[in-house]
Amino acid sequence: MIKRLFDWLKQPLGLVAVGIVFLAVFSAAVYGIALTQKAPDQPIQFPHNKHVGFGIQCLYCHPGASKGPNAGLPSQAKCWACHNQIARTQTSELLAPLKNAVESGTPIQWVPVAQVPDFVQFNHRAHIAAGKNCEDCHGDMTKVTVAENPQVFNMGFCLDCHVKTAGEDKVLLNKLADCGTCHY
Amino acid sequence: MATVSDLNISEVKLSEEYVGKWGMFINQDVCTGCQACVAACSMENNIPFVGDEDSGYGRTMNWIRIERFWEGEYPEVKMTQNQPMMCQQCGHAPCEPVCPAFATVHSQTQQLNLQVYNRCVGTRYCANGCPYQVRSFNWRDYKRPEPLPNQFNPDVTVRRRGVMEKCTFCIQRIHQAEDKARSEGREVADGEFTTACAQVCPADAITFGRVDNPESLVSQLTKEYQGVRHLEELGTLPNISYFKGA
Repeated sequence: MIKRLFDWLKQPLGLVAVGIVFLAVFSAAVYGIALTQKAPDQPIQFPHNKHVGFGIQCLYCHPGASKGPNAGLPSQAKCWACHNQIARTQTSELLAPLKNAVESGTPIQWVPVAQVPDFVQFNHRAHIAAGKNCEDCHGDMTKVTVAENPQVFNMGFCLDCHVKTAGEDKVLLNKLADCGTCHY
Repeated sequence: MATVSDLNISEVKLSEEYVGKWGMFINQDVCTGCQACVAACSMENNIPFVGDEDSGYGRTMNWIRIERFWEGEYPEVKMTQNQPMMCQQCGHAPCEPVCPAFATVHSQTQQLNLQVYNRCVGTRYCANGCPYQVRSFNWRDYKRPEPLPNQFNPDVTVRRRGVMEKCTFCIQRIHQAEDKARSEGREVADGEFTTACAQVCPADAITFGRVDNPESLVSQLTKEYQGVRHLEELGTLPNISYFKGA
């Protein structure tokens, strides 16, 4: 039975079938990997490039970054403070979810993009205080519309910078490369 | 009985030389055994409730427990003082060298025994090595019925099945206090924060603080009460001292 199958696969038609199956599996894998690299869909196609281009500071909308662990996502009230003075907000189709959210009082369900696993305890404040800029990890926001990660936030990325920051300082290295700094 | 000097291992520092960082003083004389610390610890550290069946198999999960022992021969038995027992955060911990995955490592900066959950593969060697029997293992992914998931502490990892866990001296509170102090440009003051068990103790039997600072409350109480350390003869250099009382 199996021998007959192999014989069939060895003839030209069989080789074509093997090729088609291989291509299908390969393209499915590529598509699957591509899906994980894509930024998640947001309720509003928020153009970071425009807002940063206008000169709005990151900390205006994400003020938690300088105060505590979470940078925070702005509420619709913060968006509305500027947008209710802009005439196009009332008519724009892209901004309709914002208008609806403000009128109905339901919060916009933003999808977090930059995330770390549950077993990692990250604190924005310490990084801002150490002189890191937002774009060092989150990339240049003048070039993206919907937020996306310039790299995977894995332990290699974190430790690389921690070790570089510590340099020759053994005490600081002990502190920054300590498991208990991030995992507890 | 072997003493520290008999071990003759160069790495072992003598207990007189060893100074930890964070430590506790537990006054067993005032402990009423109310188990408030056990409950507070479970709440603070997202410790699951294993249920009666797994408890029957000895798979209870506690980071702190109240021990009581019998003294003497029946019928002249006497109950000993209540003895809160948790990870002693040993300076020379028996759990650390046995871990094949380096999941339980010693923090040089905090002088604590860390448990890295994402590295743990669940060999349970550390629990077998611990002379204080304070480690607990996640035998299952224990279900938390609604509304219990709403009271998770976001600063503590929710452990999954197959990893070991133990008392961390509420390291999330240590980090929080240190972060707050650093943002205000000062050192962490003694008594500024404390662990969940010490905070909740109605009798103030548990005191937490810096043992390397002779001015701290925990150092002063240890000195005043002549606190003893459990199984000190094993050379584990524990950071918790007990006062047994009368």
